[in-house]
Amino acid sequence: MAERRRPAVSAALSGLTLAALVVLVFALPRALPGDPLAALDDPASGVAITDPELRERVLAHYGLDQPLPEQFAGYVGGLATGDLGWSIARNAPVSGLVAAHLPWTLLLMGPALLLSTAASYVLGILAAWHRGRTGDRVALVGLTALRAIPEYVLATLLLIAFAVLLPVLPVGGARTPFAEHGSGLAALADVGAHLVLPLATLTLSLTATLFLLQRHTVVGVLGADHMLLAEAKGLPLRRRQFVHAGRSALLPLLTAVGLQVAFAAQGAVFVEAVFAYPGMGSLLLEAVAARDYPVLEGAFLVLALVVLAVNLLVDLAARWVDPRSAAS
Amino acid sequence: MSAPPTDAAAPEGGLRALWASPTARVGLGLLGAVALLALAGPLLLAHGPRELVAAPLAAPSAGLPLGANAVGQDLAAQLAAGARTSLAVALLAGAGTVALGGTIGLAAGWFGGTVEAATMRVVDLALVVPRLPLLVLVGAYLGPSAPLIAATIALVFWPGTARIVRAQTRSLRTRAHVRASRGFGAGARHVMRRHLLPELALVLAAALVAAASRAVLLEAGLAFLGLGDPTGASWGRTLRDAIEFSGLFYTPAWQWWLLPPTLAISALLIGLTLTGVGLEGRSNPRTSRHRPGATP
Repeated sequence: MAERRRPAVSAALSGLTLAALVVLVFALPRALPGDPLAALDDPASGVAITDPELRERVLAHYGLDQPLPEQFAGYVGGLATGDLGWSIARNAPVSGLVAAHLPWTLLLMGPALLLSTAASYVLGILAAWHRGRTGDRVALVGLTALRAIPEYVLATLLLIAFAVLLPVLPVGGARTPFAEHGSGLAALADVGAHLVLPLATLTLSLTATLFLLQRHTVVGVLGADHMLLAEAKGLPLRRRQFVHAGRSALLPLLTAVGLQVAFAAQGAVFVEAVFAYPGMGSLLLEAVAARDYPVLEGAFLVLALVVLAVNLLVDLAARWVDPRSAAS
Repeated sequence: MSAPPTDAAAPEGGLRALWASPTARVGLGLLGAVALLALAGPLLLAHGPRELVAAPLAAPSAGLPLGANAVGQDLAAQLAAGARTSLAVALLAGAGTVALGGTIGLAAGWFGGTVEAATMRVVDLALVVPRLPLLVLVGAYLGPSAPLIAATIALVFWPGTARIVRAQTRSLRTRAHVRASRGFGAGARHVMRRHLLPELALVLAAALVAAASRAVLLEAGLAFLGLGDPTGASWGRTLRDAIEFSGLFYTPAWQWWLLPPTLAISALLIGLTLTGVGLEGRSNPRTSRHRPGATP
């Protein structure tokens, strides 16, 4: 009974979340101070319009003269056909802008989530196993401190350390501008070098939270009967640590990873701002600065969809890891 | 600490216990350093944080201990003013969260019944509100100022505190010394002041520190994203200005422009976290050893 109802319930919940998001995404930019025509009214800007009639026509062209309910209806109608709108500041389709920026954010978020899950899985087990010893205490204090500082501060510190004081990695961007690479491999290496610092920042940031949870869970598992039996059977240490203890702690870890996905997206926005990384965060920040509503709406919505999709993947992984979680 | 502490001894004993933890000592030291910066800074500095007082990117000198940014503003003044903003937001948000969450949690736990059921439903609802978008929205409608950010954070974070305080109050209400006091005819107000609040002091202090650190994080984060108070000084704002200056790393100016606010935010947040860890070790019923009656 419960098994049959659950997919329907979770689908309904996802649908509700999505509907709430569409409303929020529509309302949020319109509540921000300023408006997209501020630049048109500013005599100092290059696109200033002084003719009131022309201004009316520009407003009408973008639909900004219509009442909010009609703007909303038009927005939802467009979304249904995959149309995210037209950027006011860049005079380009939003879907094209999102398509250009999203891969960089996925390149940042995906590996960061995988690496931080793997790192906290291993480190959490080792710290719990050796709890109270120097290594555990150092990791505990160090990662607690790391968890306290925001992503953009960590990003700035790493930037200063590895791109300025010790100039081994690029300061920002995703590729060396105007560089001619002899081979595809060299181009790939260039992308990789630019990815190291942003990825390290996001991974460290996520690991700090996940590690503390994993350590706590594993400490609780250590005294369990199956751990005693595994030791009595004479199983090797590594197997007991990473297969027996780790497996028991995997479900809480995956649940926490699911909760961290939204933080990973939020963190990516801050990290991209520091490294001038051309992902969704940079797109969002430029759109905030220009009050470019359609881009803001599109970017918010696509990021939220990414978070929902990754959450779904984590949920599926959790069911695969522990079939009991699907039944309850 | 096996005997129920009297109201004079409990907070003092709590503070002494806190000082005994090396983690909390480091945390309190860092907080003290930031407070000193906030209090002493404006006395020592001659300029306002937005005044144009020096050549662009001027190096540190006697009058300008941290030099100037790209438009010639005094960076030491910005650092000191930013410390004031951060600490003000932290104190206001912390105090607001504790006042709201403490009062509501205490009432729910003490009176029980309908009051408790109703407040806890409100808590459940308030816990699911997404925080960063809400802050952006409120800041946008009402103009992003430090007191407003603090008030919003208190409004968003009180439910967590209310839940903990309610649980503790329910547990305390059944203790022998509280029931004895009630049996002697003590009123609710007397019992709360004399027996409940001293026992709740550490829990409330931990909640204050947690709300304060979130407030600092959000205020600086909003300012860093360009959504902060455009007229106020904030470490997040200084950081954003520095990162956005495209030639930053071609000059030595990053050392006095970018580095100080970075270290200051880290010091304040790590200080708050370590103090919180120290407090939690004493107040969390899961980890404290001196309350055998408490169930997790």
